[in-house]
Amino acid sequence: MTETTEMLSAPLTFNWTLSYRCNFACDHCYSRDETCPELPTSDILKIVDVLVEQQVPFVNFGGGEPLIRKDLLEVAAYASGRGLNVSMNTNGWLLDDEAAQQLKDAGFKSVGISIDSFEADKHDAFRNMPGSFDRAVSGLDALQKVGLKSTMSSVISRINYQSYHELLDLARAHGVGQVYLHNFKCSGRGFKNREELDLSPNEWQAFYLEALAVKNRTTDLKISFDDPVISSLPDYQEKTMVKGSSCGKLSLHLRPNGDITPCGFIPVVVGNILHDDFATIWYDSPVLKAMRSKSATGKCSGCSAFDDCQGGCTARAFATTGDFNQPDPHCWK
Amino acid sequence: MNKPQRNPEIVWRVEKRRQAEVLKALEAGEDADNRGTVILIQSGMMHQLNLVGGMIWERCDGQRTLVEIADEMATEFAVERSELEADVHEFVTDLIKRGWLIND
Ligand code: SF4
Ligand code: SF4
Repeated sequence: MTETTEMLSAPLTFNWTLSYRCNFACDHCYSRDETCPELPTSDILKIVDVLVEQQVPFVNFGGGEPLIRKDLLEVAAYASGRGLNVSMNTNGWLLDDEAAQQLKDAGFKSVGISIDSFEADKHDAFRNMPGSFDRAVSGLDALQKVGLKSTMSSVISRINYQSYHELLDLARAHGVGQVYLHNFKCSGRGFKNREELDLSPNEWQAFYLEALAVKNRTTDLKISFDDPVISSLPDYQEKTMVKGSSCGKLSLHLRPNGDITPCGFIPVVVGNILHDDFATIWYDSPVLKAMRSKSATGKCSGCSAFDDCQGGCTARAFATTGDFNQPDPHCWK
Repeated sequence: MNKPQRNPEIVWRVEKRRQAEVLKALEAGEDADNRGTVILIQSGMMHQLNLVGGMIWERCDGQRTLVEIADEMATEFAVERSELEADVHEFVTDLIKRGWLIND
């Protein structure tokens, strides 16, 4: 048994893609080119029942654009009524005052909006959608107006790694309490546009060194990174719940047809939540087991950080080499 | 300290499979004081409670007094009643200090 399954009988979070459809076509999107049959509402509600039965406390809708699914509010209201903590990530396009109120009424605990640059034209160009910056920002305002907690997500890439301070200020100005500076994942479109968008390992190191210092001295805003490779930095003090990537350990991902993958960036199906026994997947899936007990390969063998870092982001290693155990391509060591 | 209540901000669950293992270990005479059976998540951090702590925690619903909690625990453990009450008191006091339990 691994450290994870010794204690946990299910993940803490399911990241749930109800649909890969989206009203945008962003350059870094991991899912834009994905297609997958979608389930009818009745099956989605059945999935909620499974999650409740398995005592999964958090569900985060992502995508695709969650607001595209006409039954999002119904599903969210059902899930929150059954005690789940529901949140979502949106591009903000459809998030006007009325929608914000509806999300609040449906029991959402928080809503995250993706903003990639503090400059409207850069964000719009990146998202291939004129006007999207303004609508994302007014989405944040709409959430604030109705008193629904907002978060902001920015995927760090060449277009913003030197101007994330301004992104933090933008968040402050619009009542955001938490900013996620996501690491760039090389899958889907992000993989195709990798050369243009991704930083080099040394640039990642420089970025994280500085951003970590900023995080440690910032008190009015919660700044979060979800990149295991930063645990090799000397300034890193955070106590994380698990070592290395959290996917497959603390979280799993649901595809629109109910298939389970370790995370949205690892396209390996480990079972289907409607058709397979959940405990069998959770405890016995060879893929999940492999992700939970990685073995140091290449430059990771002998690396003093391996205990904490576990070879970094498993999704990135897998996307570039097809092997979970290879070192994260972002690693600067 | 009347009827302690769990802080509603805290997300928690009983890890049933783990709980069953710990009970088995206890029956076999092993020491399981340091083995968690309930997880609590607060501001992104996960904490664990051991079997006794978890059982007290489950009962801190704002409806039961400390004496009532100790009464219920007494049916599960062959421990001196006064000792049990002292344990419950100590545990609840500690968790109130941490802000995990609220004392109305
Ligand atoms: S990144 Fe998000 S908003 Fe952009 S195309 Fe992908 S799903 Fe849509
Ligand atoms: S060499 Fe491997 S273990 Fe060491 S920091 Fe890089 S990715 Fe992490």
